[in-house]
This record gives sequence, structure tokens and C-alpha cells, in this order.
Amino acid sequence: MDKPVIRIKQLRKAFGSLEVLKGVDMDVQKGEVVVILGPSGSGKSTMLRCVNRLEEPTSGEIWFEDVLVNSPKTDINEVREHVGMVFQSFNLFPHLTAKDNVMLAQRKVLKRSRAEAERTAEAQLEKVGLGDRMDYYPAQLSGGQQQRVAIARALAMDPHVMLFDEVTSALDPELVRGVLDVMKDLAQGGMTMLVVTHEMGFARDVATRAVFMDGGVIVEQGEPSAVFDNPRNERTKDFLGHIR
Amino acid sequence: MSTPRRNTPLKAAALVLALASLLVMAGIAPAFSMSGTTVTVSEESGGQPARITFNTVTGANERVSELDLTFPEGFELAKTRTDVVTLEGLKRTPVQPRIRVEGRRLTLGFTPPIAGDSTVRVQVWDVGLPTKGGTYRLAGEIRTDRGVEPVTGDLSFGFSTVSPSEALSRSLERNPLVKRWNSVQFLNFFLNPTMIVLAVPILFTGWITSVLLVVAAFPLAIFGGLGLAFMKMSRFPPLRWVASAYINVIRGTPLFLQIYIGFVGLPIAGVRAPWYVTGIIVLALNSSAYLAEIFRAGIQSIHKGQFEAASSLGMTYWQSMRFVIIPQTVKRVLPTMTSEFILLFKDTALLSAVGVFELMLYSNSLAVRGGNLTPFVVAAVYYLIITIPLINWVATLEAKLAVAEGGQAPAGVKPSLWDRLGMRRMLTPARELREER
Repeated sequence: MDKPVIRIKQLRKAFGSLEVLKGVDMDVQKGEVVVILGPSGSGKSTMLRCVNRLEEPTSGEIWFEDVLVNSPKTDINEVREHVGMVFQSFNLFPHLTAKDNVMLAQRKVLKRSRAEAERTAEAQLEKVGLGDRMDYYPAQLSGGQQQRVAIARALAMDPHVMLFDEVTSALDPELVRGVLDVMKDLAQGGMTMLVVTHEMGFARDVATRAVFMDGGVIVEQGEPSAVFDNPRNERTKDFLGHIR
Repeated sequence: MSTPRRNTPLKAAALVLALASLLVMAGIAPAFSMSGTTVTVSEESGGQPARITFNTVTGANERVSELDLTFPEGFELAKTRTDVVTLEGLKRTPVQPRIRVEGRRLTLGFTPPIAGDSTVRVQVWDVGLPTKGGTYRLAGEIRTDRGVEPVTGDLSFGFSTVSPSEALSRSLERNPLVKRWNSVQFLNFFLNPTMIVLAVPILFTGWITSVLLVVAAFPLAIFGGLGLAFMKMSRFPPLRWVASAYINVIRGTPLFLQIYIGFVGLPIAGVRAPWYVTGIIVLALNSSAYLAEIFRAGIQSIHKGQFEAASSLGMTYWQSMRFVIIPQTVKRVLPTMTSEFILLFKDTALLSAVGVFELMLYSNSLAVRGGNLTPFVVAAVYYLIITIPLINWVATLEAKLAVAEGGQAPAGVKPSLWDRLGMRRMLTPARELREER
């Protein structure tokens, strides 16, 4: 077996006295699409945010390739360059056009030339179906379009891994499809992805593995069809029962 | 003034006295027949009627029967009247001379002649001064028992050139319409045309000073404010404490007090700087505390997700600040910042208390000198020239921001004059405004 892209060992995270993650272990291999499911408050998002250290782990280890992410000696910005993230609330920069949103970090972090950054931005926006919206400001785009710009913005950095944190939860139902299609294309292109979502259809069709979390631990994981159709754990059954 | 200097004229006087007594003792008649001669003029600038006063002391045993005064070229004596008094201590005795005016020459004949050792004051009223200023000199002759001799002593006096606004002011003063206008007490006190034309150019200098002070101080305050804002948001507690203490002390004390400390306290403590440097620094230090709070609130009002998005792309703290947070903050704090600029500009008036010649002090001194409040009205107009457009601009910015933050696109809606004057806000209940949004 190859060396995993991401390896999480005994990850714990507490906010004050509230322990959200109680020892999570997970390896993610190159090209895997891991969908993380679970009721709210189960620690899915917190785990995802620990991977690029938007949350500081309380204890445990997170490895990205050969780098210990949560070591004080690690330049976290170097890790983040290679780990793309998309948020539930899009978080586009409202003062920049779609194209400038995609260009900014390329220019400032990767030090790409304006021409190169522009070329990449145009290609990525084209790919997410927004070739005709490049000069629009976020406020002039629909939620679905904004989320696709956010995906293009992360992809422009040529990440090794993409983290998706409930990216369709804030969207109107009719806009969800466009975003999921983009993610599907991405998965089929071989991108390593960690996806926190409630979209069962997406999980079933696209994921290579489904992980069910509850109470700060991984309760069950495996082939999506196995987890969905024959859940062994009571809590998984209960959750899937509610969601259907 | 230091003591040694005060001594010098005393010493000189003692020396003169000693010399004079020597001469008297030696029985030699003095070579000069008059002493202590001075000439003064009642106006500071030319081009107007003035009173010229000639003071002298006649020589001992000398009886003056005629005094001739010749004025320099450009002086007009046609409308003059002259009175003469002799003074003995506080006692004034009027003298009735025969007065003859020939061109620029004024001849006064005295019957009986003026006795020796008299202090004589000749006042010539309504002498037309030439417009050009400078030092002028009277020529004088006296006729005594011994014959005719020139008046000795200091016969020079001076005044400055009349400015166009002064000339205009004077011509307005004579205008019958203006006279009628000024006969209404309110108009005379607050909107006196002669004072307006006088005040406008004089206050302009003060206005420029005020503007320069605030234009120099405000950018410094912006840098200071940004620094303090970042200190206050720092992860390092001592930096936060220092910034908080500074901001609280500055915001918790009057600017007036801070100005006094800067202008009175610092020189006593041995720190000396030109007035404009002290002024700019005090204003900047004061405003930076207010701006710090404005900036901090602005930065913290930006959604946390913006910072996270920038971080997740590998941007450093300062890159995120510089390219993501600050640009959004600027738009949001610009209205408040402009209001702070307006406040600071008005606060330059407080510097008048420590003698900085800015707009307020110019208008105050002119008002005191003229016994009229019109200069204050002119000063108000000068302040408003700066503040009204800015107030207007703030309203426009706020309206635009409301549209932008409301998520409506495209932005760029210009509010009506009604809105910009804040009338709608004043007349509409807040609840309705919110619903409209």
C-alpha cells in the first residue's frame, strides 16, 4: 500500500471543557474520495478543519505527506498551499471579481506572474462553468455560482488534497446540482478529496469510502454501498433512518 | 525681559543728566532749544485720515511765538483741524493759536508766546495719509526771541501700506447703503460688510494654517491608529495593555488638556519644538486613539470566514490583512473616518487657546479689535467650506455602503439631496427604514 496523503492519529480536540474529537484515526490514500457523514455536533467539520489547522488540535498527530501538520516547527502556510478548502459559506472576497478571487493567492503565495495567474484563473473558471462570469463581483453571482468560484479558487493552487466542508448546505436546492457536478468531475479526475456532506446521492455515486462519525469518534466506515445498505452500527442505522 | 536690559536706559539717562548738569554749571547755554520731541500717528496703515500728534518741551527761558510744521509729500492737510495744549503734570491748558495752512505747511502763531520749559502737545486731526506706507519725517521751525531755528529731535513716524481689502472696507464704510445696512444692530454686529471685506483675506491665512495642520496630522493619525488597532488585537498581552491604556487615556481626557500639556508642559520639561510641530503631533496623537477604535471595530466586523479563506489558501497573517481584510475594512470605515477628519479639523480651533494663529485666533483677534462679531461669521463660512462637502460625502458613502452590504447589485446608487441632508432619516421611524432595506 502507498504512503497515505493524509494520516490522522488519535486526534483529539477540545473547546474548553467540551471535547469534540475523542481520538480519531484515519488514513486517506491518493485518489480517494472520502465522504464524512454524521449528525451535527459529531465533530466532522472540526476534524476537517484540523487537517489544515484552522483549528489547533489538542493532541494527536496529523500528517500531510511527510509533514507533521500540528508541529510548531511546521510552516503551516506551506501545508495550506497544497491543501485546498471550500467552505459552507463560500467566503469569496467580496471586493474582488471572480477572476481576481481566483488570482489573488496564486500571485501572492505561489508568486505566479500576472499572465500565468490569469491563464490559470480563466481555465479553472471555465472548468466550473463560469467562463462568462469572470468579471462579476460575488454579490452579483448566485450562491451556486459563488461556491463554484470558491472551488476554482482552491483548485488554482494545484492542491494535492481538497477539503469540502458542507459546501452545499447553504445553497437553495436547485443550485446544489451544479456544485455537485463540479465535485464529481473533480473526483473522476483523480483528486484526493475529503467531503463533509449530507448529500447521500453524491456519497453513494462518487465516494470511494464513507465514514460515519458520531460523538467525536469514527463509528463505522467502509464501501459507501456497504455502509448505506447494511449499516452494522446502531447509531449509523438510526442516522440513516432519519435522513431518508 | 531680563534685568540687565532694563538697566541700560536708566544708565543712559543718568549719564545725560550728569552731562547736562555739568553744562549748566559751566554756564554754557544749551545748543538745542527744544527737547523730547516726538511725532506719533493714530493709524497703522495709510490711505486714510489720521491724527498726528507732535509733542515737545520748549527750551528754558525761551518764548515760542510761532511753530511751523511741514508735512512730507503725499500728505493732505485741507481738512485738518488742529488743537494745542500745554501740559503741566496732569493739568492741561488749551492754547488758542492762529492757524494757517499753506499746502503741506501748517503754521501756528501764539499770542502770548508759549513760555519756556513747557510741554506742548499739538494734535493735527484728519491728516490725509498717503496710501504707501513707510517712515516719514516732519520738518519743523520755531520762532523765538532769538529768531527762527529748526526743531530738533525725533520727528519721524511711520505706518504700513494700505491693503486692497482695507481700502475697499473704507470705501464701503462711506457708502450710504452700507451705512443704512449697518444701522440695523444685528446686521452691523454679525454681517457688517466693511468687516467682511477686511476679514476675508486676513482669515484666509488662518484657514490655510488650520487646513495644513489637519492635513499634516491626519495621515500620521491613520498610521498611529492602525498601529494601535493591531496592537490591541495582538496575541501578545503587554502590547494589548499598552494600546488599551493609551486609547483610554486619550479618549478619556479633553483634547484641550492635551493641547495644554503639549504647548505648556513640554517646553517646561525642556522639550522644545516649533508650534506647528507640537500642534500637528498633539492632533495626530489625539486622533490616532479614536481612529484605532474605528479601525479595530472595522477589522473585527469582517466575517471570520474571510480570514479563514485567505489562510486556507496559504496566505500569511499580514498578506490576509493587506489584500483581503484591510481593503474590505477601508470601505466600511471610510464614512466614520471622514467624520473623524471633520471633528479633527474643527478641533484645530482649540489650538487658538495656546496662541497658534489659526482660523479661530485670527477671527477672535479681529473681532476684538473691531468690536464686532462679523469675523466669527466669516470664520464659520471658512470652516463650512471644508466640512459641508465632507458631511455630504459621508452621507453618500453611507448610502452606498448600505446598498452594498444589503447585497443589492449593482451598487452606485446616488441618494437624493433629501436623503443626503438626512431628512428622511430624521422624519422616518427607524423601524420603517429597516423594513425598506
